[in-house]
Amino acid sequence: MTPTEALTAHRGATVAQTLTVTVKPGYHVNSDKPKDEYIIPLKLTWTGGTLDTKATIYPKAEEIQVNGQALTVFTGTFPIQTEFQVEPNATPGTVTVNGKLKYQACNNEMCLRPVTVDIPLQVTIQ
Amino acid sequence: MPPVEAQVRATKDRKAAPDFSLKDENGKTVKLSDYRGKVVLLNFWATWCGPCKVEIPWFMEFEQQYKDKGFAVLGVAMDDEGWQAVKPYLAERKVNYRVLMGNDSVTQLYGGVDSLPTTFVIDKDGRIASAHVGLVGKNEYAGEIQALLNGGKQTVAAGHAPLSGADALLASAAK
Repeated sequence: MTPTEALTAHRGATVAQTLTVTVKPGYHVNSDKPKDEYIIPLKLTWTGGTLDTKATIYPKAEEIQVNGQALTVFTGTFPIQTEFQVEPNATPGTVTVNGKLKYQACNNEMCLRPVTVDIPLQVTIQ
Repeated sequence: MPPVEAQVRATKDRKAAPDFSLKDENGKTVKLSDYRGKVVLLNFWATWCGPCKVEIPWFMEFEQQYKDKGFAVLGVAMDDEGWQAVKPYLAERKVNYRVLMGNDSVTQLYGGVDSLPTTFVIDKDGRIASAHVGLVGKNEYAGEIQALLNGGKQTVAAGHAPLSGADALLASAAK
């Protein structure tokens, strides 16, 4: 995980932020909309600060077959875009928005236990 | 079933399987040591684990085939949601062997168990005869079980290098 770059936004504006994720070769992570109800989806959430999350946009998932099971997954490097709405009456200054990325990775032979990683994002409101 | 070479450790190289107490879906406390005298296939798994799903029908077959010969399958579920996720899954698949709800204290006894499935085949004296991380062939397990039920003495341990969930992402960066 590399540190996030600071974001600058004006009060009342909508700003976009892209998180770039890279999965190790040979592994995949479940998509945000897995086909099986028991599979743990990839999920990015943000809390804190004076920004509301308007939308989280995941890329189109790949469809693969593993051990006879149809899966929708992400592999390699992929972006997750979040659109934030800055509150019109937000106080100018720097705030931290706390992102959490939950994912669960597998290869063809094994799965790794689900992990949630913290993604602190510094936002300067002007 | 075709004959296969057993992949179990030599008796002198086997270490004691750490004992533990966990609850089954009926709330009954079960100890691994309750199974002393039986060959046990101890399988750490989860409902979200695709390769685990492949193995479950095999283990059901082993339970049916060998239960009267001194063998038992013990599943240890590692779902964070607990029985709420596991009970429906077991019912849907009509799983015929005992499943316990796992926790990190128990997985630490078995080296962490960061990858699933992780399976230990334990001999009648409560010692680990083989350990497997990841999906293994059905015949390989069948051979090990048969060898242990027959007092097998084959060698060669199996296994894969485990990785933790956090290691699966090389990097992520926000722009």
